[in-house]
Amino acid sequence: MATPTTFWRLAGMSYVQYVTRAASAVRNAAKEPAKSKLAANSKFTYNASIWEGGVQGKKVEIDALSKAGI
Amino acid sequence: MTLNFNLPHETIYSEAKVSQVIVPGAAGEYGVTADHVPLVAQLKAGVLQIFHEDAGEPEKYFVAGGFSLTHANSVTDISCPEAVKLDDIDSSAVSSNFESAKNAYTSAEDGSAAQAEAQIDMEVNRAMGTAIGLNLN
Repeated sequence: MATPTTFWRLAGMSYVQYVTRAASAVRNAAKEPAKSKLAANSKFTYNASIWEGGVQGKKVEIDALSKAGI
Repeated sequence: MTLNFNLPHETIYSEAKVSQVIVPGAAGEYGVTADHVPLVAQLKAGVLQIFHEDAGEPEKYFVAGGFSLTHANSVTDISCPEAVKLDDIDSSAVSSNFESAKNAYTSAEDGSAAQAEAQIDMEVNRAMGTAIGLNLN
């Protein structure tokens, strides 16, 4: 019997990844000028910092969560 | 009833007095008026219709997903990751993006993340097509 869940969970995606992809699909189908205005919403960056002794270290921009040990 | 409709980057309505909203719930479309029973619903990619007081036709947004929370005090909070007015949807982009997604789906490995992403693109574009009168399959 198939696992009763969504196709995206079975493929290893989280809800956030699913809904982010759906949001990009909507932006990609928008007309100008809405499309240019919304284009920036697809961009995101990650920062990581190491905490030592209760003090947050310097934030470093990383390009993948795997580089922060996640 | 009172409507709060928010996107991550923009507040579309804050404490707006409206007569009804029709919400694209993942388990089915439903309408909310004043005194609706409290309800939390996940949204599917679909059309959100806002009926303003004293106005005829509803204002329609295509939402990518999100959540709608209706509270006991007739306040409804709707949060979506993205929303566009139906007039801002490009029908030729929807058709071509749907076809690309369909090709990506058939050429991807079964059960892979790439296939799931293509399926998401297909389903969202199909829903956008339905919203603007295209029949994509």
